[in-house]
Amino acid sequence: MTDMGKIYGRSPAGFAADAVRRAADDAGLALADLDGLLTSSGVLGGVGLDLQKDLGLKDLRLLSEVQAYGSTAGAMVQYASMAVRSGLAEAVACVFADAPLKEKTSSGAAYARAAGASGWRGLMAAAGIMGANPLYALAARRHMDTYGTTSEQLAHIAVAQRAWAATNPRAQLRDPITVDDHQASRMIAEPFHLLDCCLVTNGGIAVIVTTAERAAHLRRPPVHLLGWAQSHPGYPMHQGSDFGLVSGAAQAGPAALKMAGVSLGDVDVAELYDCYTFTVLLTLEDYGFCAKGEGGSFAASGALAPGGSLPVNTGGGQLSSYYMWGMTPLSEAVLQARGEAGERQVPRHDVVLVSGNGGILDHHSTLVLSPHPHA
Amino acid sequence: MTTLVVRRDAATEKFFDGTARGELLIRHCTACGAHAAPQFEACPACQEPTAAWVPAAGTATVISWTAIHGRPGDDAPAPQRVVALVELAEGPWLYAALNGLRAGERPWPGMSVNVAFEHPEGGEAIPVFLPAA
Repeated sequence: MTDMGKIYGRSPAGFAADAVRRAADDAGLALADLDGLLTSSGVLGGVGLDLQKDLGLKDLRLLSEVQAYGSTAGAMVQYASMAVRSGLAEAVACVFADAPLKEKTSSGAAYARAAGASGWRGLMAAAGIMGANPLYALAARRHMDTYGTTSEQLAHIAVAQRAWAATNPRAQLRDPITVDDHQASRMIAEPFHLLDCCLVTNGGIAVIVTTAERAAHLRRPPVHLLGWAQSHPGYPMHQGSDFGLVSGAAQAGPAALKMAGVSLGDVDVAELYDCYTFTVLLTLEDYGFCAKGEGGSFAASGALAPGGSLPVNTGGGQLSSYYMWGMTPLSEAVLQARGEAGERQVPRHDVVLVSGNGGILDHHSTLVLSPHPHA
Repeated sequence: MTTLVVRRDAATEKFFDGTARGELLIRHCTACGAHAAPQFEACPACQEPTAAWVPAAGTATVISWTAIHGRPGDDAPAPQRVVALVELAEGPWLYAALNGLRAGERPWPGMSVNVAFEHPEGGEAIPVFLPAA
């Protein structure tokens, strides 16, 4: 991974190329050893098939741009793994990079689009909906009204993740916060305060997927991919929709664990997509770490924080460390699985669960990682 | 609250013809009878490829809501606007501004609301919802 945060004057493609070089070097591979490349960029684009030429990669056997919004990182790893298993390619780099932050503009402006309001998108904008904040807020409010979830319970997720971030040198925000700090932070879209919302980050992250045999002989301890799944619910925008109450995690989580041959109780650490605090809460329920509707009290119990029963987002997540879409939870999962997470390393890391979430809870990917090969 | 100027495109032509007449058009599948939100070109219930347009009654209930806060000015409090996810009497869901609330007043799930139309200068007529009397 590249340096993260307020790093200006570099393009998404530049960050992506840097990330692939660093990942190859970390693995002990030369760029020429790569024969597959999967690319992904943020909503503003900028990382595509030209990355091959930027890196000077010759005769690739797999090259594609992948788009499943926040579930892309997990999806790329799945496609890369299938490619490696099938013999389509042997060493596939999967990269995400984004550079929305510009000098002298606010984070809020980073993703603002030109106000060319037409068609259905224009109708949404006229309703007041620009960007994801109001849509996730609507989802969270529905959960609150249905199950009694509170803003203070969401605050515990932000507080726990900031406590983890304190010992992550890559985290953009490391100063401890309290539930009161969360409650006092500026209101963005009710029920979300500023501290319910993720960061905006410039940077790039790449992972390399290869066969277990080859990985065993590379520079770093390998991380094995034991299970995976995706789920795309296709909410109907109609009476009876589960929007805000159940996400694709409810299907993808159990499917990925089943493929891995492990149970929920075997999970030592979970790295969950956290565009908002609420996303973490809903994913915890849908994966089954607590009963449906009890995500709030589970979070408020302190379970997710350092020393808790289920370490979650141990690098600080998108709320406190860096916002690299699904590469945020995936990168922390790899560090934890390898036992290379420094001060914040969890003692047990045999089974690491990773989630990706995209659209407005529309797209979900799950990975089960381990330092050990499939039993 | 100023309503944004919105232009039509090929997909929304009939919908905005409807709002200009004071009608909220939704989809109605002639094959299975299901109603769907206006942006669905095929019937999401039975996958029939073309769904007809019909006017909705215009009555709805609130499914969820948010209040979007702007940045406070030097001497002014942060502007707020309430946006709702509503369920039309026919079943489809829409995102729309919820106007007509007192300052600080908030909606609740199940609250009855009715459609109204705003006509911003130079743009298409936009459906908004108001609390039912």
